[in-house]
Amino acid sequence: MVVGFKTALMVVTLAAFSPLVQQSFAQKPEGSVKVTQITGLPGVKNNTGGVLTVEGGSLHFSHGATKVDLAAASVADVVTGGDSQRAIHGTMGSVGLMAAPYGSGRFLSLFRTKMDTLTIQYHDADDGLHGAIFTMPVGKADEIKKKLLAQGARTSVPEEAANTAPAAKEQKQ
Amino acid sequence: MKTVLRGIIAGVLGLTALAGGGALRAQEQKAAKKMKASAIKVEMIQSDEIKLPAEFQVALYEDLIQQLQKKGGFEHVYRQGDRNAANAPDLVVLHSTVQGFKEGSEMLRQVTTVAGATSITIHCVFSDKEGKSLLESDVKGKVRFFGGNLRATYDFAKKTAQIAHDNFSPTTGT
Repeated sequence: MVVGFKTALMVVTLAAFSPLVQQSFAQKPEGSVKVTQITGLPGVKNNTGGVLTVEGGSLHFSHGATKVDLAAASVADVVTGGDSQRAIHGTMGSVGLMAAPYGSGRFLSLFRTKMDTLTIQYHDADDGLHGAIFTMPVGKADEIKKKLLAQGARTSVPEEAANTAPAAKEQKQ
Repeated sequence: MKTVLRGIIAGVLGLTALAGGGALRAQEQKAAKKMKASAIKVEMIQSDEIKLPAEFQVALYEDLIQQLQKKGGFEHVYRQGDRNAANAPDLVVLHSTVQGFKEGSEMLRQVTTVAGATSITIHCVFSDKEGKSLLESDVKGKVRFFGGNLRATYDFAKKTAQIAHDNFSPTTGT
């Protein structure tokens, strides 16, 4: 009887909390990335943490009740921190910089700590140019960039160029 | 005694009025020197000769727009490409080109507070709609003591907005 009561209590408790559990899963759709919006999104304060998702042809940023949607087609340029590093130093340079101790070899970077950056340039309804910068865990910027490109965004550093340009440079030397 | 006191008070009042008048005249002269501009259009920061990371370029641009909106004194601040800018009277266009930077170190800044400064030099050209240069200036953004490199972009934006505020006004003519 006692075991039966305990089981019933457990079942009731689980049932009571199950909507919350479902909600917490619903809040983090697959492919969402925790980011910090450094600057550039309309109606969002600088240095606001939130979740970034790419789906349905849009880039979604959400922070509590604040939600910003940008059409991927309006994104004129999407560049990761890795792209910038390769453009400036080439692949070999990037490897060398990564190996340098305490970030001493890092190129002019806005951010001190080890994180990935994603920079986008997009146009508003009046064609005005905006820029937005996000920081996120290492490796996530490339994922977001790929998804954005697949949904209609453009980039000044295509994946092939990012991989082949430094090689061409090395051949010249 | 009373007469002396009255004389002193009258003298002080007179001097105050003179000083106030002088300051007013200086303000009027300064205002008269300002060029008339009701709106400004900010072009994306260019860095053709110096390779600048995209995030730095965008941070400079966004900070510049924010500071011009706060302190520039313009009725409208337009972004590059904004089609509404075409109809704006007395529009000034701001072109900014990165001319140099010196990379500092936030770690050094934190440890020594004097070494490790980051600085970025940007050549700013304020021109009219037809492209005629109205004002040119080299602006240096620095981060000397504490904070990340993002402070250098903020410093540049603040200084540029001040230059705009000091030289342009929507109400006065040349």
